[in-house]
Amino acid sequence: MNYEFDEILSTIKMTEIEHFDIRTVTLGISLLDCYDRNLDVAKQKVYDKIYKYGKNHVKYAKEVEDRYGISIANKRISITPISIPFAGLNRYEFIEMAKVLDKVAEDIGIDYLAGFSGLVQKGFTNGDRELIEAIPIALSQTKRICSSINIGTTKSGINMDAVNKVADLVKKTAELTKEQDSIGCAKFVVFMNAVEDNPFVAGAFHGVSEPEVVLNVGISGPGVVLDAIKSAGNVDLQTLSDVIKKTIFKITRAGELIGREVAEKHGIPFGIVDVSLAPTPAKGDSIADILKAMGVEDVGAPGTTAALAMLNDAVKKAGMMASNSVGGLSGAFIPVSEDQGMIAAVQKGNLSLEKLEAMTAVCSVGLDMVAVPGDTPASTIAGIIADEAAIGLINDKTTAVRIIPACGKKVGDVVDYGGLLGLAPIMEVRTISSQGFVGRGGKIPAPTRSLTN
Amino acid sequence: MKFSEEELRQIALNAINELGEKASPELVKKIVAKAVDESNSDINFPKSEAKVDFDRAILTSFGLDRPGVVAKITNLLFESNCSLQDISQKIMGDFYTIIMIVDLSSAKYQMKELSEKLQEIANEMNIKIFLQHENIFRQMHRI
Repeated sequence: MNYEFDEILSTIKMTEIEHFDIRTVTLGISLLDCYDRNLDVAKQKVYDKIYKYGKNHVKYAKEVEDRYGISIANKRISITPISIPFAGLNRYEFIEMAKVLDKVAEDIGIDYLAGFSGLVQKGFTNGDRELIEAIPIALSQTKRICSSINIGTTKSGINMDAVNKVADLVKKTAELTKEQDSIGCAKFVVFMNAVEDNPFVAGAFHGVSEPEVVLNVGISGPGVVLDAIKSAGNVDLQTLSDVIKKTIFKITRAGELIGREVAEKHGIPFGIVDVSLAPTPAKGDSIADILKAMGVEDVGAPGTTAALAMLNDAVKKAGMMASNSVGGLSGAFIPVSEDQGMIAAVQKGNLSLEKLEAMTAVCSVGLDMVAVPGDTPASTIAGIIADEAAIGLINDKTTAVRIIPACGKKVGDVVDYGGLLGLAPIMEVRTISSQGFVGRGGKIPAPTRSLTN
Repeated sequence: MKFSEEELRQIALNAINELGEKASPELVKKIVAKAVDESNSDINFPKSEAKVDFDRAILTSFGLDRPGVVAKITNLLFESNCSLQDISQKIMGDFYTIIMIVDLSSAKYQMKELSEKLQEIANEMNIKIFLQHENIFRQMHRI
């Protein structure tokens, strides 16, 4: 027999008991050739192109699922940041384009299509300005569209004018979708150092240097890591790091296999494996539980940041060893609403926004799915975004903010979206003002780290 | 797109089968040329590197030992036209574990259908049966 009994059992345990699944297979499609002077023609081109490449996406993914008995949780599509090919559109035309994208996503049978995005780290094109005006309305009038704006990079600094605009955008989106607990904000991400091959929605987009069409895969598996740590018992941290690495190595290998097979079925190139630990609201699929298993009493206790840093580093090292195509964000995600353990920590008062911010300095991908009181002023949201962006700026890493100023809600309330987006308790935000600083506008210059040549 | 000799032969054989008695060398040549043309018209992206060498699955079963377990499973495999390449069994007290390596290359069913049929046996005998493609194990446990 080629395989040891233990090896076979460990794989079965992973897939059958520990919720090991592939989080997402994301088809990236370039729209760079879809511009046309006539809006109707452009809309048709966009629809046709996405439909042509995407129509079998769900079917192929299902076939690979059946073949390997490993489930693929999400099948999604990312597109070229929309403001690049369509820089000539005005805000109303962008809204129409969003509806076309929503329609094609529905017709293909996917839940989210991401890339209704703009890159404004160094300044705005006219298209970017119009897009930013269009996003709140587009998000309130569509179901499946996800949007993002990149407001800075380590090479170019932080565009504070964009930060202010985006803070207004977030407030407006919350207001427009207040009937549904401001759900629009859950579909919008502000990025610092955005990556071009991220397969994880809502922040995914298909970068301009990417090929015509590509398949990226995002693996997950907090449940598998949790069980491995639990069964390791009381060992020292080096040994624990080793345990995590071995586990991640296996799931990365499996993830790459699945991704390559889906790409092969499509007949398109395989892009990257994003080795991120991404939680879901399901029990046992939690990063917070991993941190607790590592030894902190609850998320937010002193030591949490160190534990998370070690976890994140072990994930990366194992991923790098397991695959030549590691990319995307590749780190642990700590969205609040999508992780039972994080929700509980906030509700018990153990995890504050400030501690969460510190944690984001050592993992991907930032303040994710954080709900704050509806009366939080735009300038405070701009301050939060700027702080998070500064962490990314100085550490040369991706950070992001997906914040929900839930209309009419106060600390102690919750917003409940159900499904993958989960339940977010409203977190306390300091009421001292950021206005004087963020209101200055302009740019935070690129740091010395940007001068690497 | 380039075809291997094997693939060309397969296309030709398919053409001959389809034509039946009408098959003549010219007609077959024409149909093969057309088939090759058609597959060339698809957009050719560089293929990803993953290659599936074999179509083998690993079947694992465990539960309370009782007569007929192996017979039930192997009978289904036989009916499904799967061949058994290796088998290992352990009895621990009242419990048994079996691991089989099954060649699916000429199987009548897809993995999913076969899994479902095995599940019926599992339910009936009150045991556990898992069927997973060998590639998964190869990727996870072999470098």
